[in-house]
Amino acid sequence: MKNLKRTLSMALCLILMLTLTCVPAMAAGSVKIGVLVSDATSSEALAFRAYYTEYIAKAYDVEFIYSDELTDAAGEKSSIENFIVNNCKAVISFSSFDRPAQIEQCDAAGIYYAVATGTLTDEQYEEYKDYEYYVGAIGPSMDIEFQTGYDMAAYYIDQGVTRFGMFGGGVPYYVDMHIYRAAGMLTAMVEKGGEGANYKGADNAGAIIGQIYADGGIDTGKIGNLELVAYVGGYDFNDAWFGKLAQMVGTEGIEAIITVGSGVDVLGGFVAGSGVKLATVDSFTPAMGEAMDSGILDYMAGKFAASIGPIFAATYDAIQGSPIRDSEGCALALGQGFWVATDSEQFQQYSAVDSSNTDPAYTREILDQYAAPGVSFEDFAAFVSQYSFDEIVTLKK
Amino acid sequence: MKKPSLIRNLLLSLLIPCTVFLVLEMIAFAKGVRLFANADSWKLFFRAVANVTLTTFALSINLDSGRFDFSLGAVSMLSATVAGTLAQQWSIGPWLTLIVAIAVAALLGLVHGGVYVLTRIPPIIVSLGMALFFEGCAFAYTGGKGVSLVTRTDIIGFSRIGNYILVTVIAVSLIVLLFDYTRFGADYRALLSGQKIAVETGIREVGNALGCYAVSGALMGVVGFISLANTGSQQMSLNFGSIGIMFTAFLPMFIGGWIGRYINKRVGIMLGAVSMALISLAYARFDTASSVQSIISALLLVLFLIYLNNEYAILSRFRKKQEIKE
Amino acid sequence: MGKQTWKERIPTFASTLGLLVLIAAYYIIGAIRDANVAYGLKAVVNQSVVVALVATGAVFIYTLGSFDISLGAATGVSALLGAMAYNATGSLIVMFLVCIGVAVVIGFINSSLASVFNLPIFVTTVAMMSVLSAFMLILIGWNGAGDTIKVKARDVRPLDNIPFKVSMLVAYIALCWFIFTLLPTGREAKFIGGNPICAKLSGIDEKKLAIIASLISAVGIGLGAFLTIVYAPTLNKDTASSIGMDVIIAIVFGGMPVSGGPRSRILSAVVGAFSMGFLSQIMSMLNLGSGFGQMIKAAIFLLVVFIALGSQRSKLLTR
Repeated sequence: MKNLKRTLSMALCLILMLTLTCVPAMAAGSVKIGVLVSDATSSEALAFRAYYTEYIAKAYDVEFIYSDELTDAAGEKSSIENFIVNNCKAVISFSSFDRPAQIEQCDAAGIYYAVATGTLTDEQYEEYKDYEYYVGAIGPSMDIEFQTGYDMAAYYIDQGVTRFGMFGGGVPYYVDMHIYRAAGMLTAMVEKGGEGANYKGADNAGAIIGQIYADGGIDTGKIGNLELVAYVGGYDFNDAWFGKLAQMVGTEGIEAIITVGSGVDVLGGFVAGSGVKLATVDSFTPAMGEAMDSGILDYMAGKFAASIGPIFAATYDAIQGSPIRDSEGCALALGQGFWVATDSEQFQQYSAVDSSNTDPAYTREILDQYAAPGVSFEDFAAFVSQYSFDEIVTLKK
Repeated sequence: MKKPSLIRNLLLSLLIPCTVFLVLEMIAFAKGVRLFANADSWKLFFRAVANVTLTTFALSINLDSGRFDFSLGAVSMLSATVAGTLAQQWSIGPWLTLIVAIAVAALLGLVHGGVYVLTRIPPIIVSLGMALFFEGCAFAYTGGKGVSLVTRTDIIGFSRIGNYILVTVIAVSLIVLLFDYTRFGADYRALLSGQKIAVETGIREVGNALGCYAVSGALMGVVGFISLANTGSQQMSLNFGSIGIMFTAFLPMFIGGWIGRYINKRVGIMLGAVSMALISLAYARFDTASSVQSIISALLLVLFLIYLNNEYAILSRFRKKQEIKE
Repeated sequence: MGKQTWKERIPTFASTLGLLVLIAAYYIIGAIRDANVAYGLKAVVNQSVVVALVATGAVFIYTLGSFDISLGAATGVSALLGAMAYNATGSLIVMFLVCIGVAVVIGFINSSLASVFNLPIFVTTVAMMSVLSAFMLILIGWNGAGDTIKVKARDVRPLDNIPFKVSMLVAYIALCWFIFTLLPTGREAKFIGGNPICAKLSGIDEKKLAIIASLISAVGIGLGAFLTIVYAPTLNKDTASSIGMDVIIAIVFGGMPVSGGPRSRILSAVVGAFSMGFLSQIMSMLNLGSGFGQMIKAAIFLLVVFIALGSQRSKLLTR
C-alpha cells in the first residue's frame, strides 16, 4: 500500500508538472491552428514545420498544434477532432488520404480548412468551392508535379544522357504525387526518345499515367533511343531493398538516376564516388547543400519552406473575418511550383533565403503587403504566382 | 552410445544454407540471372549476413530467457543517431564512430534493463515503452532531422565486404566466448533452464539480466552503424515505426536452433543468417516485389516451424514408410 | 480458495484508478488550455471504440497466455474486403457480414495453424501479419482506384454516431462477459493461462479452446473493421495498422497480466482502450511536439502499468 501511495503521488506530480509545462505554452499564442501531417520526418516536412513554428508562430502570435504522423483517413479524422477539442480556429492540411472528408468535418465544426502544398482534383473543387469554411488550396497541382518530373528527365536528355535509372518512391503504394512525377519523367523520355518511342506502347502523358496506375510499378526497357536501365520503388528499408538500390547505381553504363523524392536519403551513400548523376525532389536544407557541394546531388527541384506562407496568410485572414474569395465567391485554387537548382552556387543562394528563421522568403512584411485582410483575389493570386526565386527576391526588395 | 561423427554434424549444419543456395541458384538459372553477379551482390550478401546475425543474437539473448524485446530497432536507430551526430560534430572516423555507437547502444540496453529490473514490469511491456521512449529521444535529439553523412566518404567507405566479415566474425566469437566459456554465460544458461533453482543457488539474476540487455544493445549499435554507413543517413521513426527489424530475426533464430543441435548454437544462428542473406540477395537479384517478399518470407517461417514442431511425427512417418518398403 | 485480500485487489483497482487520474488530468489540463472538453469526450469514444472492440475479443487469446500481433492487419483486411463487398452490392448488411466473415476466416487459419501444427502462436501471428499486410496492398491494386478503397461517406454517415458505436461495444462486451464469466469456456481459458499442464491433465482441450478464443476475438475484429469503415470510409494500405500494438497497450493499461491466467478480466480491455484515448487527448492538449511528446507518453504508459502491477512483484524477474 505504501508503495502504491508513493507511485500514485509520483503520477500526480508528473501530471502536475506537465500541467505547469503547458501553461506557458498556452500563453504563447492567442489563435490556435491545427496542422495535419502525413510526413513528420522528411527534410521537406521539417523545413515547413520550422517555418510555421519558428517564424510564423512568433510573427503572428499563433500557436500551431501538429498532428502525429498520419497514415490513414481515420487518423486524419481523429486529429481534426483533437483540433476541435483544442479550440483551433482553422486546420491547415499537408495530409491527403481523404481531403473531402477533412473539408466536410471542418465545415460541420465551423472551423476553417486549407490545403497546403497540394490541390484538390477538379471534381472535388467543384463540389467544395462554395463551402463557407473552405479557404482553398495553394500548391503544386498534379500538372505541376508531372512537369517537375518531365523537366528533370528533359534536363538530362538535353545533356545527352541516354541511360537512366529511376527511383519511384511511393509509386508501388499508388501515391499520386509520385506517380505523376514518374509519368512526367517517362513522358519526357518518350517525347525526346526519337521516332516511335513509347513506354510499353503508351506514347502520351495520359496513357503513361494510366499504365503506371495499372501496373503499380514501372518497367525497365528501351524508350526509343533512350533506355530506362534500372528501377526501384517503395520504401522497404530491408536488406533486399538496399541491395536493389546498390545494384541500380552499379548497373553497367548507367549515367543518371532520376528520383521522385528522397533521392539523397536513400541513394546518397551508394552514389558517392560512383560518377552517376543524381537528381531528386526535396528541400533546400544544409544536408542537401553538402550533397550538392560534394557532387553527390546534381539536380534538385524543391518546394521552398516559406511556400506555405500564402496559404497561412489566407487562412489567417479568414479567421480574422476577411476570407479571400474569387469574383464568384469561390475558394482559392492556386498553383505553385518548385525552385530548381542545378549547381552548388545556385543551391546556396536559394538555401540562404529559404533556411532563415528571421528573414525567410515570405516574411510577415511581405505577407502583410500582399495577403493581408482586405486584399483582392486578383492581387493575392498574382502574388502567389510570383514564386520563382528571382521574383521573390524582387518582392523582398 | 555411439558418438555422432564430426563430419556428419558439419554436413547437417550446412544442410540448410547449402539447400537454400542450391534452390536459389536453380531459380536464378531458370530466370537467366546470376545470383552473385558482381561486387555489389557480394556486398549485399555479407551486409545481410552481418545485420541478420547481430540482430538475431540481440533478439535471442533475451528471448531465450523469456524476455521479448520490441525496442531493438529503436536502440539501433538512437545509437546510430547519436554516433552519427557526434561523427559530424567532432569529425571522428568510422571505427571510432562504431565504438561510440556500440557504447551508446550498450548504455541504452542497460537503461532498458534497469527499468525492467527496477519496475518488474513484464519485459514485453517494458520493451514497448522503451521502444516509444527511444524513438522519441532520437526525434527530439535531432529535431526530427535524423543524420545525414552522405558526404563523409570515410564513414560510407566502411561499407566493405572485409569490414562486414570482420564485424561478423568478431561478434560471433565474442558471443560464443561470453555465453559458452565464461561465468556470465554459465549463469545465463542456468537461469535459462531453471530460473527459480538458479536464483536459489545464488546466481545473481538481476546482474545477468542487465548484462544481457547491455550486450543485446551493443549488438544493435553495430547494426545501427552498419545501416548508417550503408546509406549515409539515419532517418527517424515514430509510433513503433522501428520495430520491423525484429521480425527479420525469427526465421534465422529458429534455423539457428535447429542447426544448434549439430554445432554451436551461435554458429547455427550465423548459418541461419547466411540462409536469410541468400534469400535477401535473391529478392534483390530477381527484383521481387515487396508484397511478394513478405508472403514468401512468412510462408518459409511457417513451413519451417511446422517441420520443427512436428519433426518427430514427420520423421517417424517417413521411417515407417521406408520400413514397409524394405 | 479464500476471498481476495485488499492487496490482491490492487491491480484491478489501480487500472481503474489510472483511468480516473487520466480523466481528472484531462479536465484540469482542458480547463487550463481552454479546451472543448465536452467534444473531447465524444472524440475519446470515437477514437477508442475500435481498439476497445478488438481488445475485448483479444482478452480471450491473452487469457490463454497467447499473444496475437496480427490483429491490426486482420482488421485492415476485413475492412478492405468489407468495403469492396459494399461497393459491389450496395448493402451495409453484406459489408457487415463480410467484415465478420473475413475476420473469422483469418482467426480460424491463425488458430488452426497454431493448434494443428503445434506452432507458437506469436510467431504464427507474426507471419500472418506479414501476409495480411502484403495482401492489403494486393487488394488495393486489384481494386484499381489508386491508393485507396472508398465507400461513399454519405452511405455510412447514418451509422457514424456515438449511440450506435457504444451500443455495438456494449453488446459485444456483454457477449464476451457472458462467455468469459458464466460459461465453462472462460474458466477453462483462465485455467490454461494459469497452469497449462494442470489444465491439460484435467482434460481441458487446449486446441479446441484456442480455436474458440480466436473465433470470439475474430468477431471483435470484424466489428472493429465495420466501425473503421463507418468512421473513415476511405481505406488504404495502412488502415488499422496501429491496432495490433494499441491492443497490447490497452490490455496492459487495463491491468491485465500479459501472461493471462485467472486474473484476466474482460473489462481490462475497455478500461485500457479508454485510458489510451484520454492520454492521447491530454498529449494533444499539451502540444509538446512529436519527439518529446512521445517520450512523455512512454513514461506515463510505463508508470501506469507499474502502478497497475503493484502487487505482482516477486523475488524472481518477471518473464
